[in-house]
Amino acid sequence: MRHINVLILSTFMLFSLVAYAQHDTHEHEPETTHEDTSAHDHLQIPEHAEDIHGAAHEEKAFNASEMIMHHVLDNHDWHITDIPSGKDAQGHTTYTPIALRLPWIFYSSRDGFVFSSTHDLDAKNYLVYHDHVYALKAGAVRPHADAHGAIHLEKEEWEAYKAENVDASVTLLDFSITKTSFQILIIAALMLWVFLSIARSYKKNTGAPKGTASLFEPIIVFVRDEIAKPYLGDKAMRFTPYLLTLFFFIWFSNLLGLTPLNSNIAGNISITAALALLTFIIINVNGSKDYWVHIFANPGVPPALRYSLMLIVEVVGVFTKPFALMIRLFANISAGHFMVLSLVSILFILGKGGKSIGGALGAMPISLLFTFGIYFLEFVVAIIQAYIFTLLTAVFVGMAMESHDHEHAHEHAHAEGDHH
Amino acid sequence: METIGIMGAGIGAGLAVIGAGLGIGRLAASSVESIARQPEAAGDIRGAMILTAAFIEGVALLAEVVCLLIVFTK
Repeated sequence: MRHINVLILSTFMLFSLVAYAQHDTHEHEPETTHEDTSAHDHLQIPEHAEDIHGAAHEEKAFNASEMIMHHVLDNHDWHITDIPSGKDAQGHTTYTPIALRLPWIFYSSRDGFVFSSTHDLDAKNYLVYHDHVYALKAGAVRPHADAHGAIHLEKEEWEAYKAENVDASVTLLDFSITKTSFQILIIAALMLWVFLSIARSYKKNTGAPKGTASLFEPIIVFVRDEIAKPYLGDKAMRFTPYLLTLFFFIWFSNLLGLTPLNSNIAGNISITAALALLTFIIINVNGSKDYWVHIFANPGVPPALRYSLMLIVEVVGVFTKPFALMIRLFANISAGHFMVLSLVSILFILGKGGKSIGGALGAMPISLLFTFGIYFLEFVVAIIQAYIFTLLTAVFVGMAMESHDHEHAHEHAHAEGDHH
Repeated sequence: METIGIMGAGIGAGLAVIGAGLGIGRLAASSVESIARQPEAAGDIRGAMILTAAFIEGVALLAEVVCLLIVFTK
């Protein structure tokens, strides 16, 4: 056991040493102005890292919060890494990005539906800046771009450019398959593959489950018996498919978000908002008569309060439940990713972006151990958050469906607290 | 002013964590006591505990998100 621990630890040390060594090479560059961007390149910031910073000619030290934001936010290309490809005229190391360019698909009131690569957008007189697409006026001058196509403008410069050259009358609706939506498709494909193969194996095999089916059967039964049945009673089977879909979608997306080369989609508030919206619809479509009476004419309070204060409280309550679901999942998953990325950043902050090897060596054990700890905690959080989202959905739907002659269920609803 | 705003976000995040910590701590303490008193009800108690912990955590996370927004929109 001890040997395994040592092995794992040294492997991680080796990785960060390799990472650090690559980083260190920039130190010997004749000019240090590009130091910052090299640090970013190295941490898998794409070639347009400078365009996130705004200005390339005013480089600062390694900026952890920008690195973290870049990793967490959605993007139009699936960036994997950069490989050094040689030196340019000034002796700077140049990088070739390895990235999957996702297409731009948007509706423009000027050209109708546009389906295009980033490169071809130039010919159609559109400009991509900070991962947003802008329609340019006819004959507009394009801003100067570097070898990677990144545009370096100060905020004021960009505002001035925008006022002069961007055609504000063109409406653009962006439907592009971004990193996040591509990740959804991957998860959907994975879930279809897993669950169709389970369904097939049950069709063929009437005995004990085998293979994938035996791996997932306990979890499926857990969702049905521990989440759906206690809160939804005899209507449980109607909602089990939805609950199972929620549970596995959130769990799979969290797990994939923790593996390299994937993006974490539950850390994107639009995804959790969509999931919460589905729950919101299901709660309100299945609301019983008592549920609506309780909201608009709560029989438990005097009439003066019933139609004034309680009405507001109850109506707000209808929206806070899915809103809390949305915030909870989003904040939990983003917090984990922020933590991991911040702890990795310690290495680069104390290493002074390649200038202080001692600082980096000192930071390495802290950075490694904490990252390791948080990372494994995140695997637990992945399944707990899937469980809680599913459980609360079942609880809320159950509360909305109950009729108030059902004594036990009523007590339960009161125990939940946040709504009566 | 901006610096004070960011400091406020930091203090707010700390206060939210104190609140959530107290809440979940009390919850865990009384759940463990109840389980010790009535081990046969451990399953039910654990279920109720996780559910309530999720509510407490939800409120705390709301505060944390507000703090994050202050930092990012400064």
